[in-house]
Amino acid sequence: MAFTEAIRIAFQSLRANKLRSFLTVLGILIGVSSVIAVVAITEGLDSYISNQVLELGSRSFRLQKGPDIITSHDEWREVMRRKRLDLRDLEALKASCTRCAEVGASVGTSGSAKRGRELAKGVRVTGITENISRIGAIRDLEQGRHLVQQDIDQSRRVAVIGPDLIDVLFGSVDPMGKEIDIDGHAVKVVGVTEAKGSVFGQSQDNFIWIPITTFQKLYGSRRSITIQAEAVSMERFEDAQDQVRLAMRNRRHLTYLKDDDFSIETGESIMDLWQTATRGIYVVTIVVTAISLLIGGIVVMNIMLVSVTERIQEIGVRKAMGARRRDIMRQFLVESVVLSGFGGFLGVLGAAGIALALGGVIGNMMSLDFSAPVRPWAVGLALAVSSVVGLVAGLYPASRAAALDPVEALRNE
Amino acid sequence: MSTATPDTFDGPIIHAEDLWRTYEMGAEEIHALRGVTFEIQKGEYVAVMGPSGSGKSTLMNLIGCLDTPTSGIYVLRGKTVSEMDDDELAAIRNREIGFVFQTFNLLPRASALHNVELPLVYAGIPRDERIEKAKQALEMVDLGDRITHKPNELSGGQRQRVAVARALVMSPSILLADEPTGNLDTATGQDIMALFDRLKEAGHTIILVTHEREIADHARRTIKIRDGQIESDERRGAE
Repeated sequence: MAFTEAIRIAFQSLRANKLRSFLTVLGILIGVSSVIAVVAITEGLDSYISNQVLELGSRSFRLQKGPDIITSHDEWREVMRRKRLDLRDLEALKASCTRCAEVGASVGTSGSAKRGRELAKGVRVTGITENISRIGAIRDLEQGRHLVQQDIDQSRRVAVIGPDLIDVLFGSVDPMGKEIDIDGHAVKVVGVTEAKGSVFGQSQDNFIWIPITTFQKLYGSRRSITIQAEAVSMERFEDAQDQVRLAMRNRRHLTYLKDDDFSIETGESIMDLWQTATRGIYVVTIVVTAISLLIGGIVVMNIMLVSVTERIQEIGVRKAMGARRRDIMRQFLVESVVLSGFGGFLGVLGAAGIALALGGVIGNMMSLDFSAPVRPWAVGLALAVSSVVGLVAGLYPASRAAALDPVEALRNE
Repeated sequence: MSTATPDTFDGPIIHAEDLWRTYEMGAEEIHALRGVTFEIQKGEYVAVMGPSGSGKSTLMNLIGCLDTPTSGIYVLRGKTVSEMDDDELAAIRNREIGFVFQTFNLLPRASALHNVELPLVYAGIPRDERIEKAKQALEMVDLGDRITHKPNELSGGQRQRVAVARALVMSPSILLADEPTGNLDTATGQDIMALFDRLKEAGHTIILVTHEREIADHARRTIKIRDGQIESDERRGAE
């Protein structure tokens, strides 16, 4: 009956107390905007990371000495004691993994490259087998040729370089066939790859590829190599991993009860790790949001009590004019819900702003297309939750207003 | 509840029998009313007089259905109010009583029109009809050109006339005015009393609570209250 009247009164009192209303709903605003912004940004990162993982190649996996992520000191000590992987392991796996289309290897270090007076520091120097450029993320060449089997077999001093090095070392000079100096050793440039841009602020184009045999000559062979394999098909992905695992256990003479003393990493394991992290972020967000909504609700309740006290005489007049308990109850409940819903609405706007700004910053940082989408369901949920907070926070003040005695209320000045 | 309408009901508008109202102040009992009995007929213009503390405010609250008696019977237009619950009282106030207060008691943020609409809102009358009726009521008190004004944009006399329009908009059985001229200067007070005289001529039943002799003299009947009892009940003039 008096529902439209209640909404009208609610907006009227919201307008009459603009600053107070805004301050009242700040808690709800912060709660709502933080949850929406976090959801938007993690979702953006989600799709970004799965793209990255796809790029790694869904059929490829890596065999390495230790896992990508070590979570404890004990684990680290155990990994440190493991035997390193070397080129003999590579040859053995090539022979025994029948489900693998390709088995290659790489080993890298950070070095510097020099040409004349130009110096490039922090260059990723990687020794590779010739097939590495075909496993996982494929890098096409801008110029020249890839490394070939003879380069590996004869430990030739040749290199394929990333486009960042062209800028630093060559400028407008044609790099093909020119020599560069890698940590004191001269190698000849035979190819230049296409550019990939940067990820998390890290350039993907600042590297030098040399034959893995050449790498071991220049830097020694004590470093454990990473063996990279690609299954013949998606269906054989698990089989291929099993073959590699079995072959390695045989080579290491591991008995039935012993754990692997090597690690196999797939794109999936990165995805798993990310999803675990995301879950953590969500849990924290939900807790933070719940706390700010609780505080927001308390503030709303407090201000509704003030609002009731301020309007005791008005309540008396309304009762004298025939308002029943439930009319007064509804009036203040609607006001409380409108107030909180308004906070939720502002929170949505705030979240959209945050998501847009952060999306831009992150996108810039990675020089990639990155968007943090504000999902309709998140907006709907935020508005619903803030309205419920308003409803709950309004119950007590509204029932106090409704229970006022009209005679007492009218006498109030 | 009775189905009587203003046209078919011909008994007394108010029948009050041995009304007591007792307040408890801690262990002490205060008898604000001690057995008040009277009747008011349709179309009467009655002044209720008495010094402060006499119980006249308590009586006004009972007549206005804002409060119920501790004991006694109060029948308003055939309905026994003394046995009603909160919601029934609210409905009775809405339909049967038109209040006019000393301090006007208009909603400060609402326009004159919306203030007058208020009882219609609680009666559940649709918006278009509400606006129509509220406009008519404002025209009746010569404020047809002030309907969009807020109370603070109106003079004291205009505010009280808005309040009278609000009191009349539901066509109540009683117009109950509590010191309606108390916050007005003499000239403006005279205007409001003239309006009441006109309403009396138009057939409205008016109960005027006041402590001023001159104001009470507008009425044709005066009930004097002292110490919670009726001291005198006098009629005069052409009745």
